[in-house]
Amino acid sequence: MRTMFVWMAGCLIGLASLPAAIASGWNMPVGVTEISREIYSLHMIIFWICVAIGVVVFGVMFYSLFKFRHSRGAKSANFHENTTVEVIWTAVPLLILVGMAVPATATLKKMYDTSDAELDVMIVGQQFRWRYEYLGEDVAFTSSMSTPMAQVRGEEEKGEHYLLEVDNPLVLPINRKVRFLMTSDDVIHSWWVPDFAVKQDTIPGFINENWTRIDEPGIYRGQCAELCGMNHGFMPIVVHAMEEDDFDAWLVERREEAEQEAMGVDRDWEMDELMERGEGVYASVCASCHQDVGQGSPPVFPALAGNQQLLDDPAWHLDVIINGVSGAAMPAFRSTLNPVEIAAVTTWTRNAWGNDTGDVVQPAEVAEELAQ
Amino acid sequence: MAPKLPPHHPVEQSTSAVAGGNAAAHPEPPRGILRWLLTTNHKEIGSLYLIFSLIMFFIGGIFALVVRAELFQPGMSLIRPEFFNQMTTMHGLIMVFAAVMPAFTGLANWMIPLQIGAPDMALPRLNNFSFWLLPVAFILLLSTLLMPGGGPNFGWTFYAPLSTTYAPPSTTFFILSLHIAGISSILGAINIVATILNMRAPGMRMMDMPLFVWTWLITAFLLIAVMPVLAGVITMMLMDINFGTHFFNAAGGGDPVLFQHLFWFFGHPEVYIMILPAFGIVSAIIPTFARKPLFGYASMVYATASIAILSFLVWAHHMFVVGLPLAAELFFMYTTMLIAVPTGVKVFNWITTLFRGSISFEPPMLFALAFVVLFTIGGLSGVMLAIAPADFQYHDTYFVVAHFHYVLVPGAVFAIMAGVYYWLPKWTGHYPNVKLAQWHFWLSVVGVNLTFFPMHFSGLAGMPRRIPDYALQFADFNLVSSLGSFLFGASQLVFVAVVILCVRGGEKAPAKAWEGAVDLEWSVPSPAPLHTFETPPTFQRQQH
Amino acid sequence: MWGVIKSVLAAFFGVQKEQRRREDFEQGKPLAFIVVGLVMGLLFVVGVAAVAITVAR
Repeated sequence: MRTMFVWMAGCLIGLASLPAAIASGWNMPVGVTEISREIYSLHMIIFWICVAIGVVVFGVMFYSLFKFRHSRGAKSANFHENTTVEVIWTAVPLLILVGMAVPATATLKKMYDTSDAELDVMIVGQQFRWRYEYLGEDVAFTSSMSTPMAQVRGEEEKGEHYLLEVDNPLVLPINRKVRFLMTSDDVIHSWWVPDFAVKQDTIPGFINENWTRIDEPGIYRGQCAELCGMNHGFMPIVVHAMEEDDFDAWLVERREEAEQEAMGVDRDWEMDELMERGEGVYASVCASCHQDVGQGSPPVFPALAGNQQLLDDPAWHLDVIINGVSGAAMPAFRSTLNPVEIAAVTTWTRNAWGNDTGDVVQPAEVAEELAQ
Repeated sequence: MAPKLPPHHPVEQSTSAVAGGNAAAHPEPPRGILRWLLTTNHKEIGSLYLIFSLIMFFIGGIFALVVRAELFQPGMSLIRPEFFNQMTTMHGLIMVFAAVMPAFTGLANWMIPLQIGAPDMALPRLNNFSFWLLPVAFILLLSTLLMPGGGPNFGWTFYAPLSTTYAPPSTTFFILSLHIAGISSILGAINIVATILNMRAPGMRMMDMPLFVWTWLITAFLLIAVMPVLAGVITMMLMDINFGTHFFNAAGGGDPVLFQHLFWFFGHPEVYIMILPAFGIVSAIIPTFARKPLFGYASMVYATASIAILSFLVWAHHMFVVGLPLAAELFFMYTTMLIAVPTGVKVFNWITTLFRGSISFEPPMLFALAFVVLFTIGGLSGVMLAIAPADFQYHDTYFVVAHFHYVLVPGAVFAIMAGVYYWLPKWTGHYPNVKLAQWHFWLSVVGVNLTFFPMHFSGLAGMPRRIPDYALQFADFNLVSSLGSFLFGASQLVFVAVVILCVRGGEKAPAKAWEGAVDLEWSVPSPAPLHTFETPPTFQRQQH
Repeated sequence: MWGVIKSVLAAFFGVQKEQRRREDFEQGKPLAFIVVGLVMGLLFVVGVAAVAITVAR
């Protein structure tokens, strides 16, 4: 018996030291949107209700355990029913729950109101990156994790934003209602930024809607929340929220870049240029499945380095990149990459890691292929 | 009392009683391995189930420890992400289908006939078949880890199309093994229903049955209702993978969300399948060691039935972020919140049973009390998760992992251990070693809380579940969780030691091993002979 | 009939007087309870759905 109370006291001290240790970063973020603040307050209300229930229930329980011990000579009573008490403890929780359901319903209705958006952004989940399209603005890009795999493997020191940094962050304006249209090219992913309290599954064949209106400029980070395969842990989300003017200027700049790129399709590219560009595209788009030196992860993600079919059949190789492989994990890059990028990454994969075919694929050839 | 009441003794029970009139009428059982392969005795089959479940508990536990070892610190240090996904998936599948469910079936096999005064299960050969399907199913499932491309890596919820178009080739074997395990569960459930409805001792009405029998009866109906749904959904996967159908393939006009509806229509009752028998065990142990009748027996039965019925109406609370229409979201939020009411009633009843009792703290009681406290914590975080808007933040984070491990580990698993400590004297004739059992208890309690409590914080702070590597701000929580899990895992070796020592010897237990125990199983000798209640006992009604 | 409905409601709420329960078991017809139980179960689902749909408007 004594040992039991020593143990129990130890546990209690352990539990009691918890709140003392609680700092920020132990709780849900309050966030930077109206919805995220409402959800935070719902969370805290229900949390304190649960704490109160816990204190009462465990209080009675531990009082009974202490007071009515056999070893202290307690004699047991024999009651086993009391309709009044039973009615009370069924009705009271019911009322508490109704009390919780009312504000929860109100918040949920706001979250579902996607009307009157000032900007539409299409979010497409892909194994294992995000694609963002600013609808009606001719701006679209892919966003992949930029943390080097060497940090993951422990060969380099881990940076401050380890696993939560990307090459191209999603840029959004503050104070504008942004509607997200979400879908997926392959499996189900889930786009989650805790500071906006936006979490929505991206599902192939479905378009889900959600929205946000950010109050403060800043950089906000999140992750894919739905298991989507091998590199589920390595598809972060970074949102760069800007003042409205800055955002408009950024949008114009991106649009001009895209136009310049389109003009580059017709000229003849040097192999070195394509290789340099291709290495970047590969790292951003292909490496998450086919791995950083093309070794793949068979059988679902085949190796590219030394792949005999790839080496023997350039036309097939280009076709797979453009149209994907139906019924397998390889997606079609027809609409996600532009002709220059496709040409560059094809050239790179045909010449990197000892593949050394010497083949050069020109953007113009790709454009022709795409037109068919 | 009333002549119109249920007992159906005249025909069914007298035949079995006559058949087993004396021990000499039983043929000598075969020896060695054949005895166990061919046994139709409910006690031997119960033991087989329990031993199988314990082995699987350790295998599933080792998978969990591999996961925790990888998550011990940031960075991929031990295994590759592909293998990590296989470990989380296998851990979940093994623990749900091969550890917790068979453990409850084992307890049911041993105790239901003893608690209702029946000589055996209603369908003994079927009983043998149901058990021997299990090793087949799970050896097949475990063997997928050695196949090219590895075993299932899509989580125990195996959402399509990750588990169909994008799955490893071994998925077909995974489907087959789940089918076999499902058949085993359905047959076991049918057997339990048949036993409870037909073989109660003369004079025992439904409302006289111990709660473990009641909760298992309701659980068995749940199993019969939902296991075919699971079988259906995995058959659709099989067709998608091998026969070119497009049930879940959006490119072919299929619907990935349909998969989730079907899965959770099975999956939510399934989680109650894993907890209702636990309620029954705890409802037997607490009155025994409080030396006071269970408070609110009838409302316990009602609450169990309510939970079971509501479990069919709440499945989409697992899908709050898949983009359901607003009205559906509200419907499932309301029904989910309602489940808190009957569950709360149960907790209040247990605590009122303790109130003004005469309480002692034998090992089964320690586990039962820890169950009440820690299961309640899991239940309260469940209420938080039911609030749909807040679930947009909680969903698929470690907060959910913390929640369901609180209801399953110190919930279901502690209840199973409480049941084992409670009934070991009846099974072996010896009391378990108290000192070792106390060590097992306290190490488990500390281990389980160290493992799962920090997960609430890492989840709220933004750590998604099922990731093999994490950002640096989650490092401290994960370190504590990993250390706790090693402690919890190691302390289960103490449990094995207690069980083995208890089988081999120890303080002799009388027929009524615990002072406050009242049910029928305590009227047969300890250890219970191979054949009991060959003549039906006369049932003395107590006050319920 | 009203007695059966009241007993089923009590079962839904989870609390019933021991005396009433005994009477139900001694005098009631099981089929009546099953039918009323199913109908009221259906009404419950329709009721919650109706609330959800109205609120969602």
